[in-house]
Amino acid sequence: MKQKTEQKKSLNQGGKNMTEEKSIDFFEYFIGPQHPGITGNFGVILNAVGDEIIKAQANPGYLHRAFEKLMEQRMYLQNVPLVCRICVPEPDVNEALYSMAIETLTGIEVPERAKYIRTIVLEMARLAAYLFYFGGTAATLGLYTLPNWSFGDRDYILDLFEELTGARIYHIYMQPGGVRRDLPKDFTKKLYSLLQTLKKRIKEYDGIFFDAALFKKRTKGVGVINKDMAIEYSVTGPNLRASGIAYDIRKDTPYLAYPDINFNVITENEGDFYSRVMVRRREFEEDIKILEQLIDKLPSGEVWNRYPMPLNWKVEKGDVYVKVESTKGEYGYYVVSDGSEKPRRIHVRGPSMTHGIMLLEKLLKGQRIADISPIMFSLDICPPDIDR
Amino acid sequence: MNINILYAALAPIVAILLGLLYIGIGRKIIARLQRRYGPPFYQQYIDTIKLLAKKTVSSHGVFFSLGPIMGLAGSMVTLLFIPFGSAAPLLSFHGDIILVMYLVVIAPLGMALGVGEGSNPNGSIGMARGLTLMLAYEVPFVLALFSVVLYTHTTSIAQIVQSQAGEWSLLKFHGFNWLTFALPISAIVADICLQGMLGEKPFDQVIAPHEIASGPMVEYGGKYLGMMVINHALHIYIETALFVDIFLGGGPVWFFIPATFSVFILSLIINGVLPRFRIGQALKFYWGVPLILAVIGIIYTMVVIK
Repeated sequence: MKQKTEQKKSLNQGGKNMTEEKSIDFFEYFIGPQHPGITGNFGVILNAVGDEIIKAQANPGYLHRAFEKLMEQRMYLQNVPLVCRICVPEPDVNEALYSMAIETLTGIEVPERAKYIRTIVLEMARLAAYLFYFGGTAATLGLYTLPNWSFGDRDYILDLFEELTGARIYHIYMQPGGVRRDLPKDFTKKLYSLLQTLKKRIKEYDGIFFDAALFKKRTKGVGVINKDMAIEYSVTGPNLRASGIAYDIRKDTPYLAYPDINFNVITENEGDFYSRVMVRRREFEEDIKILEQLIDKLPSGEVWNRYPMPLNWKVEKGDVYVKVESTKGEYGYYVVSDGSEKPRRIHVRGPSMTHGIMLLEKLLKGQRIADISPIMFSLDICPPDIDR
Repeated sequence: MNINILYAALAPIVAILLGLLYIGIGRKIIARLQRRYGPPFYQQYIDTIKLLAKKTVSSHGVFFSLGPIMGLAGSMVTLLFIPFGSAAPLLSFHGDIILVMYLVVIAPLGMALGVGEGSNPNGSIGMARGLTLMLAYEVPFVLALFSVVLYTHTTSIAQIVQSQAGEWSLLKFHGFNWLTFALPISAIVADICLQGMLGEKPFDQVIAPHEIASGPMVEYGGKYLGMMVINHALHIYIETALFVDIFLGGGPVWFFIPATFSVFILSLIINGVLPRFRIGQALKFYWGVPLILAVIGIIYTMVVIK
C-alpha cells in the first residue's frame, strides 16, 4: 500500500507539467531508447498536446564508447580494427579515412590498384547502407515487405564482402599503405552479376514503394529542410542534396579513384521527406554505374605498400583533416601526431551530428506523432557516430 | 434446449480455431510475399496456448484486467447472431443486423476501458486512433448495409442469407443470387470498410509499431495478451463471416469456410503491399470516396427495386 501511495505521488508530480502547459491533452512521450521506431541506441523526449508535438529533445549518449580517447592509448596499427566500430551500418568509411590520414602524415604511397579496390569496397558499402535505409524508411511507414526484400538483397552484398575480407560487417580490410589482400578469383564477375540483379530489384522496389501513391501522400511536404536551413545547420550528404545544393565530396574534392570516374551529382529541390528518399534511390542507380566503371578500369599490380615495423612505428609530427562522402554526409577524421608511437588526438566528425540532434529537434516540432519515426529514418541518423 | 447450449459453447471454439488458423496461414502467405519461409501454419495456436499458460506479472487495476474479458465477451455474444453459412444462428430476430453493429463495438470499447487504466501513452494513443478509425469506417459501412436492407426488405441477417439461397451442389453454381451481383457498389464499399475493421494496412494505425510501439497491447502480457489475440482471431472470423453472409450468400460449410478465408486473404494481400495512412488521412479517405460510393449504392438500390 505504501508503495502505491508513493507511486500516486510520483504520478501527481508528473502531472505538474499538466498545469504548466494548461492543457488536458498534454503528455510526455518517449521514443527510444527501447522503441521499435528509433534508429538505434538513441532517444527522443517529446512533449505533445493531443497528436501534435510542441517540443522535442534529442537524447543521445547511450552508445558512447569513448573511441576518440581510446585511440590515443593505442599504437597506430592497433587502431585499425577499432575505427570500423564507430558506425555500424557503414563501417568502411572509417577504415578508409583512418588509413588516408596516416598515409597523408607519413607519405606512404598507395598503389593504384589498392585505390580502386578501396573505392569498390566503399561503393559496395554505400549500396548496402542504402538498402538498409530503404528498408528502414519503408518499415516506419508500415510497409514491411520492402525491408524483407532489401535486407535480403543486402545479404548478397555482405556475401561478397565475406568472400573478399572474411567478415560481413566489420571488415578491417583497409590498412595504411593499401588493402589487406588482393581480390579473390572471379570477384569482379560476381560483383558485376550482382549489380545486374540489383538493377532489376530496384525496379521492383519502385513498384511497391517509390512509385506508390500512398508513399507520396505520406511523405510529400513533410519535414522540409530548405536551402538556408540546410546551410545554417551545416547539413551534408544526401540530405543536403535533397534541398537542391549539389555538393558531393566525391566530385568537389575527389579522393581515391573518384577522379577517374564519371558520375552525376543527384539533387532534388523540395528538401522534404520524399526528396530525401528519392535522392538516395536515384543515387543507388548512380552507384551501380560507378561500380561498373570501377570494374572496367581496375588496374593490375600490387595492393599494399609496406609500412614500417608497427611496434616501433613513429608517425611524423603534424596534423591532417581528411574527409569522404558517406551515405549520411561528410565523414571526417582530424588526426594529430606528436611524433610518437601513439596518436596525440583523433577527432571523428560523424555526419549524423548535424542533422541528428539540432536539426531533428527543429524538424519534429509541430509534427504529428505518426511522422516522428519516419522523419528520423528519412534523415538517416546513425547514433553510433554521434556518440563515438 | 440442450442443442442450443451446445451451439453456444461450440460456436466460439470453432470461430477461435478458424480465426487462429486464418492468421497462421496468412502469416505464411505474407512471408512468401516477403521472400521469407515464414512460421508453420499452426504457430498461432502454439503462441496463444503459451500466452494463456503464462502468469500475469503486474496489473494496473480492476478495469485493466476486466477490459480484455469484456471485449472477449462482447465478441462471443456477437458470434451468436452470425449465421454459419446457411445454418441458422442461435439468436435471430428482425433488426439483429443493427444489434450486431452495436455488439461489434463492444470489443474495442472493452479494450479502451482496460488500456485507459494502464495510463501508458502508447496504449491511449492507440485506442484513440482505434475509436477514430471506427468512426471513419462505420459511416460508409452502415450505409452499405442500409442499401442491403432496402433491397432485401429485411433487417435479419438470417433472412438476408436466405434471400440469396439456391440449391448448392459441386456441379451447379448458384452464386448469381449473391448480393454482390445485385448490389456491386455496396459490396465494394463494404469490402473497403472491412479492411479498416480488420485493422489491416493501410488502416493499422491502432497497432503501428514504429509509431506507438504496438499501441493497446503495450502494457498487456500473459493471459490478457492471449485474450487479446483470441479476440483478434474472433474478430477476423466475425467480420469476414458477416461479409460472406451478407454479400456472398453464406452457403454450405464447404463454401462458407473457404469464402471467409478468401475474403481475409484478399485484405491481407492488400495489407502486404501498402504503407499505412496517417489517422487523419484514413478518416478523410473513408469519408471521401467510400461514403460517396455508399450513397450512390443506395440510389442504385432504389432504382433497382423499382
